[in-house]
Amino acid sequence: MLVFAFALVLFALANVGFTLHGKLPSGAAFYMAIFMAIVILAHLAVRRFAPWADPLLLPLAALLNGLSIVMMFRLSAQVNPATGHPAISASQANLQIAFSAIGIGCFVAVLVLIREPRVLQRYTYTLGAVGILLVALPALLPASISEVYGAKIQIRFGSFTTIQPEEFAKLALAASFAGYLVAKRDVLALAGRRVLGIDLPRARDLGPILLAWAASLLLLIFESDIGTSAVFMGLFVAMLYIATSRTSWLLIGFLMFVGGAFAASKLVPHVHERFDIWLHPFTAANAQGNAYQLVQGLYGMASGGLLGKGLGGGQPYITPLVQSDLVFTAFGEEIGLAGLMAILLIYGLIVQRGLRTAILVKDPFSKLLAGGLSFMLALQVFVIVGGVTRLIPLTGITTPFLSQGGSSLVASWILIALLIRVSDTARRPPPRPIQDEGLTQVVTLK
Amino acid sequence: MNRALRRISLAVLVMFVLLLVNVNYLQGFDTASLASKPGNSRAFYAAQNQYQRGSIITSDGKVIAASRLSTGNDSIKYQRYYPSGPEYAPVTGYYTIFGATGVEAAQNSLLSGNDSSLDVRKVIDLVTGKTTKGATVQVTVNSKAQDAAWNALKTLGKPGAVVALNPKTGAILAMASYPSFDPNVLAIHDGAKLNAVDKKLLTDPTQPLLNRALQGTYPPGSTFKIVTSSALLTQSPSTTINTSVDSPTVLTLPQTNNVLHNDQGEVCGDGSGQAPLITAFAQSCDTTFAKIGMQLGANALNQMAEQFGMNDANLTVPMPVAKSSYVIPPSQAETAYSAIGQFDDTVTPLQEAMFAAAVANGGTLMKPDLVQQVTASDLSTVQGMSPSVLSHAISSSVADSMKQMMLAVVQQPEGTAYAFRQDVTGIEIAGKTGTAETGTAGTGQVSPNDAVFTSFAPFANPNISVGVIIQGGGYGAAAAAPIAVQVIKAYQQAVGNQ
Repeated sequence: MLVFAFALVLFALANVGFTLHGKLPSGAAFYMAIFMAIVILAHLAVRRFAPWADPLLLPLAALLNGLSIVMMFRLSAQVNPATGHPAISASQANLQIAFSAIGIGCFVAVLVLIREPRVLQRYTYTLGAVGILLVALPALLPASISEVYGAKIQIRFGSFTTIQPEEFAKLALAASFAGYLVAKRDVLALAGRRVLGIDLPRARDLGPILLAWAASLLLLIFESDIGTSAVFMGLFVAMLYIATSRTSWLLIGFLMFVGGAFAASKLVPHVHERFDIWLHPFTAANAQGNAYQLVQGLYGMASGGLLGKGLGGGQPYITPLVQSDLVFTAFGEEIGLAGLMAILLIYGLIVQRGLRTAILVKDPFSKLLAGGLSFMLALQVFVIVGGVTRLIPLTGITTPFLSQGGSSLVASWILIALLIRVSDTARRPPPRPIQDEGLTQVVTLK
Repeated sequence: MNRALRRISLAVLVMFVLLLVNVNYLQGFDTASLASKPGNSRAFYAAQNQYQRGSIITSDGKVIAASRLSTGNDSIKYQRYYPSGPEYAPVTGYYTIFGATGVEAAQNSLLSGNDSSLDVRKVIDLVTGKTTKGATVQVTVNSKAQDAAWNALKTLGKPGAVVALNPKTGAILAMASYPSFDPNVLAIHDGAKLNAVDKKLLTDPTQPLLNRALQGTYPPGSTFKIVTSSALLTQSPSTTINTSVDSPTVLTLPQTNNVLHNDQGEVCGDGSGQAPLITAFAQSCDTTFAKIGMQLGANALNQMAEQFGMNDANLTVPMPVAKSSYVIPPSQAETAYSAIGQFDDTVTPLQEAMFAAAVANGGTLMKPDLVQQVTASDLSTVQGMSPSVLSHAISSSVADSMKQMMLAVVQQPEGTAYAFRQDVTGIEIAGKTGTAETGTAGTGQVSPNDAVFTSFAPFANPNISVGVIIQGGGYGAAAAAPIAVQVIKAYQQAVGNQ
């Protein structure tokens, strides 16, 4: 499987080189060597520390990471004639390699340090506190070091390096929710009144969901970050549902989020604007103004058509932020519908393997953790891919593994490490009972 | 919990199916509609690279824009070049890697080879193995008339424009604007350099990118008396060119203390306060036509102005043309000014040519057009010119009177353009001068007047009408008329009338 992923990435990299320069790119060997080295390292770590883990997860994640490196290399290698410089600098492309290495380093560290998923259950409240702190941090900090494109979601160190703490907060909160719900699920599953065939929960049990809702709305208002807020809310509601099997929670959560988002679209200008450009992107004012990015992304995908322009053959540099939020459209432009469907299927496979793991594993905490993480990944892909393809309003969140950006890449690798850890637990054969040789001796009778 | 997880899996499946369906829709079905959306520079870029772009040639076969293989080391295969850049820039416009203007923009789909009317030929090319090329656009411009117009403007060195029309068809025979720019400098493929060049042109105070012939609007001055006279002759059939009209030396405007003099305070006609209409017109008496304007009223002037093509914001040749406006004045005094081409009246140089063209063509104004013929690469005609009537401005009898009066401007001793009566041997030129006061352009100093001239020739059987506006040129007879005469002369030589 890994060889297959390597071959695809190598081919893609060579493709970029031939299209842009008519020869193999000079940095290709270097890029490829580092990429292969770190992935093989990850593979060895899985073999050593999680031998029973799902064999598909690592190759799939590695393939996505590899494609991201190729795209960053491709974006940095072509100059935008309008601006005279490429969409991202060569050093930013190199940084993507560096973050891939750091991400895989964290991946290995998680496998080494967390031998049993249940260990995390002990830190339920610690992780919860850390998660909330990480989310709240940028909102508390002055805008000068936390604001980016109208949303306050990052912490800037110096002039170059930034961290988006929410990427890590998502993981901490998923683990924390799992621990909390395992402890409280019996109470939360208690039925209250029955309305229209649905058992409503008791009013006093609404506390946690109200809290999560309030937190995600605050996130929306103070950090203007709709995408992450949706992912948080979705994560919590889905995990609540997995824990209690009560459809009512799903309904309540969904209605609360939609209601909150609708109110926010009326009250918060940043959110309102997002809805406006979703509904009317092609009006002259929007197409040249706020919706420029979305519209150019769509134009890029349209120009790609069924098979794409070929890596290096399109003009993704026209689309602003094509390296991060709109990276999916860059793939659409260059590898076409066929390539995008492949990418979506890879995500689908990862999510499916994750959910499969959740179903297999016996321990409820691990079940919730794996289910929550898988669903979160799916939701994140849905929010950003749906956003850039105008299925839902575009909100700036990263595309897992594909986007430029260290925090997202590292967090995605940690997510895969956790899934691999749970799947190792799930698929590990039960220890064989110590056998009393005398009793089970096989006697051959003649 | 597993039941819930299975349901979550189902939800995830639905989410991914939605994404897949949407992506399929976007990239499978919606591509054509997205490609045709405004602001899609990728589609523009793709069209530019697909085929060799067609040439633009003049009616007498001179190539004014063409594409050849690019010698530069870049991804764009063809290089656009303009053999006589600045002279024809108002016609061709420019064609950059980001966008286009002029005929390059107006006929872009045909030039680039992407127009649907070329589809059949593309299939034939595919079968026969020939390389598909963009169509060739032949414009109506006559290179001799264009040369005369451009050289005259360049020699004068003042900002202005010249438009020559064939009054019978509306074909634009010359269209020059000064100062101009060289579209070759914008045809480069280096975007950063292009942006720098573009910025320099855009911030140039002399506005070289402005096509004054179609986009500049200036007060018409006394040339508007063509409209005022036409309105009078149309409204009052008993009036002839020899009818005596009030022509005071000084006219006090109603409800004001403003006093209107003729230029330099000169008397009109014999000084009796009455003069034949033709004399007042030839001499361009402001008091006469201010008074006629007040008698006719602003609505009558407005109606006649619109019949001559003014107040039309939708005229295209096929490039869009700025609106020439007649604004209905709020008072009688201002109506008086508007009747002599002052107040808020503004016209394009093209409109000036249209005044004379309507008169020359017996009162029927043909729609101005720049494209004569479009031929595909196999020399078959894709699109030809079909002259169309823009409006019936005046009746043929009024047109005959107007022709007589415009002839008097050049041929009678009291005419303002009498000096040019013999400039083109054997050809009688008719015209009307204008000297437009542009007021104090914010500086408190009186800026020099704009020189305006509209004319047609030969008088007996007009084949050309010329409108000229020179900013700060002074008297119309001094700065604008000589340029029109040179264009007329060059065109008569070109068509063998001399």
